[in-house]
Amino acid sequence: MLTVTDLSVRYGQIEALRGLGLSVTKGSVTVLLGSNGAGKSSTLNAITGLAQPRGRIEFEGVRIDGVAPEDIVRKGIALCPEGRRVFPSLSVAENLHLGGAVHARGEALAARVEAELARFPILRERFHQKAGLLSGGEQQMLAIARALMSAPRLLLLDEPSLGLAPKVVDQVFDLILSLRDQGITILLVEQNAERALEIADRGYVLQSGEMVLSGTGKELAESDLIRQAYLAG
Amino acid sequence: MMDIILQQVLNAISLGGIYALLALGLAVVFSIVGLINFAHGELMTVAGYVLFLGVLFALPLPFAVLLAIGAAALAAVLTERLAFRPMRKADATSLLLTSFAVSAILRVLFQNGISARPKPVPLPSALSGTVNLGPVHLGAVPLASIVVTVLSLVTLNLFLKRTTMGQAMRAAAEDFQVLRLMGIKANRVIAVAFGLSGALAGISAVLWVAQRGSVDPLMGFIPVLKAFVAAVIGGLGSLPGAVAGGFVLGISEVLFQAFLPEAALPFRDAFVLSVVIAILIWRPEGLIPAKTARRS
Amino acid sequence: MTRLGRLLSYSAAIALIGGTAFAEDVIIGLATGQTGGLAPFDQPSLAGFKMAIDEINAKGGLGGKYMVTLDIKDTRSDTGATVQAAQELVAEGVKVLITPCDADPSIAAGQISQSAQIPTLTFCGTTPTITDAVGDYMFGTYPADNGQAALLAEHAISKGYKSAYILKSPDSAYTLRLPEYFAEVFTAKGGTIAGEGTYGLGQQDFAAEVTKIAALDPQPDVIMTAAYEPDFPAFLKALRGAGVMAPVLGSDGIDSPTTTGLGEIANGIVHTTAGFPADGTPLGDFYKRFTEATGAAPETVYVATGYEIPYILDAAVTAAGTMDGPALRDALANLEGVQVLTGKVTYKGTNRMPSRDITLVEIQNGARTPILTATPDPASVPAP
Repeated sequence: MLTVTDLSVRYGQIEALRGLGLSVTKGSVTVLLGSNGAGKSSTLNAITGLAQPRGRIEFEGVRIDGVAPEDIVRKGIALCPEGRRVFPSLSVAENLHLGGAVHARGEALAARVEAELARFPILRERFHQKAGLLSGGEQQMLAIARALMSAPRLLLLDEPSLGLAPKVVDQVFDLILSLRDQGITILLVEQNAERALEIADRGYVLQSGEMVLSGTGKELAESDLIRQAYLAG
Repeated sequence: MMDIILQQVLNAISLGGIYALLALGLAVVFSIVGLINFAHGELMTVAGYVLFLGVLFALPLPFAVLLAIGAAALAAVLTERLAFRPMRKADATSLLLTSFAVSAILRVLFQNGISARPKPVPLPSALSGTVNLGPVHLGAVPLASIVVTVLSLVTLNLFLKRTTMGQAMRAAAEDFQVLRLMGIKANRVIAVAFGLSGALAGISAVLWVAQRGSVDPLMGFIPVLKAFVAAVIGGLGSLPGAVAGGFVLGISEVLFQAFLPEAALPFRDAFVLSVVIAILIWRPEGLIPAKTARRS
Repeated sequence: MTRLGRLLSYSAAIALIGGTAFAEDVIIGLATGQTGGLAPFDQPSLAGFKMAIDEINAKGGLGGKYMVTLDIKDTRSDTGATVQAAQELVAEGVKVLITPCDADPSIAAGQISQSAQIPTLTFCGTTPTITDAVGDYMFGTYPADNGQAALLAEHAISKGYKSAYILKSPDSAYTLRLPEYFAEVFTAKGGTIAGEGTYGLGQQDFAAEVTKIAALDPQPDVIMTAAYEPDFPAFLKALRGAGVMAPVLGSDGIDSPTTTGLGEIANGIVHTTAGFPADGTPLGDFYKRFTEATGAAPETVYVATGYEIPYILDAAVTAAGTMDGPALRDALANLEGVQVLTGKVTYKGTNRMPSRDITLVEIQNGARTPILTATPDPASVPAP
């Protein structure tokens, strides 16, 4: 579904990503692991058009590298960014509207909002509150719901469990599985390697801008590198 | 004495309203592109000249006014397209310098292309009349200022709250990148922001010109300065802040003019600026700071 | 031609002529604000100035023998740039320097030409202290503030006004001193000052100030100000809006179409001006000629006062027979009764701010009518 070949990203003098190759199969959960600065977010930024990459990115057989972020989402890819980044002074309703505004209008838009509220009942309770007043977990739900408003076929999730209480982390991972079951392909960036690999069909490990390891979730979970770097203790 | 105080309070609200509209015009653009557009004053001048032409050709006044506001909005969009868009990736200082350049170029164009002399904009004498509310006199222009300010603020608020573009503009002020991820075109949001800012410049220009009776190439200088001060008091980039800043500035100007002793009056602006400084010491981010989640 | 090219050719010309006595080319330098805040005054002044120079050159030059080339530098209305332009022009060897319609840049530029002994004239600087601040090479050309104020005060007394309110702004010498000169003459002739108000240039909001005027008891007989646009129209609108109907006296700064465009509320305003272009007068004829030559009527009387300056110079050069600095200075300082468009100009016996005719006009129904043209009585003109 998504194929990335020889992808590099530079920010000025700094080379954040070097010659990355990866592929995401339709209907799977693919996990991208790595420490801070390893190039995970750069990968997502390159896919969504926020960063200008060199290399080749193909989505459903069409090249999308160099396409503006506004147009990527129209092609069926949505990003739920790191740190949630909801619009704090806008209400929950407004955040959701903006997520779907270019994809549906009027009743169709209302129906999408309704579908997300059914998925995330807590958002119905908070519907008219400012997003900035929501708890961290609620904001994460809103950020995912907002990304889903564009009805993506590929959902990119950047560190969705960061800073959340263990109970909420469980909810997030359950949600990812249920989204996959509904046919949405997932590319997940995570620091929580143990939990991520439990649900991953496939995983890639990045270090200092380069891919150092890849395999199925099970293979990676058993690999020495992962055990030492992420799962030790 | 009571009626004089009441009168001065109305005077203060009227001036504060104009400053609020001016500051809003700056804030709308700043909140989204981080640019303090010092050419905002020249957008007012554009509206002034169109109003002058409208009156010269005896167009019906409401039509001439709408034309003037539209012209300022169009001019704003054009300056964005021609001058600011190519500088989109530049840092804040370069953007600021660009706006100074646009402002200077427009001023010279007005001086050499139209006239260095002021052009009269005679308005119907009904607009010079007075409305008596009990003991209080209110000139037609100040009254119109209050009404127009209220209408503009209500309309703007509805636009920002109820329309998708309005919501997108508020969102853009907080996190432009994420907004683009939602599929909303950055160029459109920015163009609309400039257009809106131009329309606000046009509205304030009509009120400003109604007060002064003429338009000249340099008339935008003082209003943009006031707008800048008001926007800073309120919190740069915050729309409610801009309105609050405008009113604080207008009200303190009028009240100092009204109640300072004669000997201190020449220092009125120093008193006003002391208030500004006091506010900024008390709240360095302004009265109602903007909530920006700008990230690299 | 580039500036360098022009300089080279001037130096070549000067080297060739070498100070011989036949028909000479001379340069007059202009360091004036053709853009920026002074452009409303300096642009029209320059338009008139150029027209007169062309006429004089066609007749054989200043004093019949000095063909004039103009070197026009735009100072962008910046005092620093004016100084720089003056330095360049002096270095270039100009015979006369023309400075902007404003005291500060004129004084700054004049100090440079003063030490180079080059007679210097300000376009329409009206502050009477300009000349003494610089020295004996500095000349005014336009009706000075104290003269305008004296004429207005005499008019106020003759109308029987007993008390006056004056509105002034400390932001410029013109808006501050002219009303003060008025107050000085008005009280010397028996009037009283009922109150004083202050405003900031460009402030434009007069609601607070007029509320105070409206509260005065008793109301003043007349209100006098040297405010000009945009302040004057805004003040007048606010004043009448607050119900104050006292007559208003103004200065030449409101000699602009904006004032008549104010409609009914402008009725009864009396203000000074350098001249009124009535049909059949020299000024009226000049307006017609200018309109024919340029296709547009003069927007302001500054076109005419700019036009007069080369003719004042012509009279001085004719008297001196030379354009050498000291001789030309003396000739200018001794001019008496030179007939120009707006009346007669005299420097003899003055501090080089000319004694000259000033016109009072009254506005009724969107039109001006001249009510008096006179040279203010030197005895009643306050000292600068």
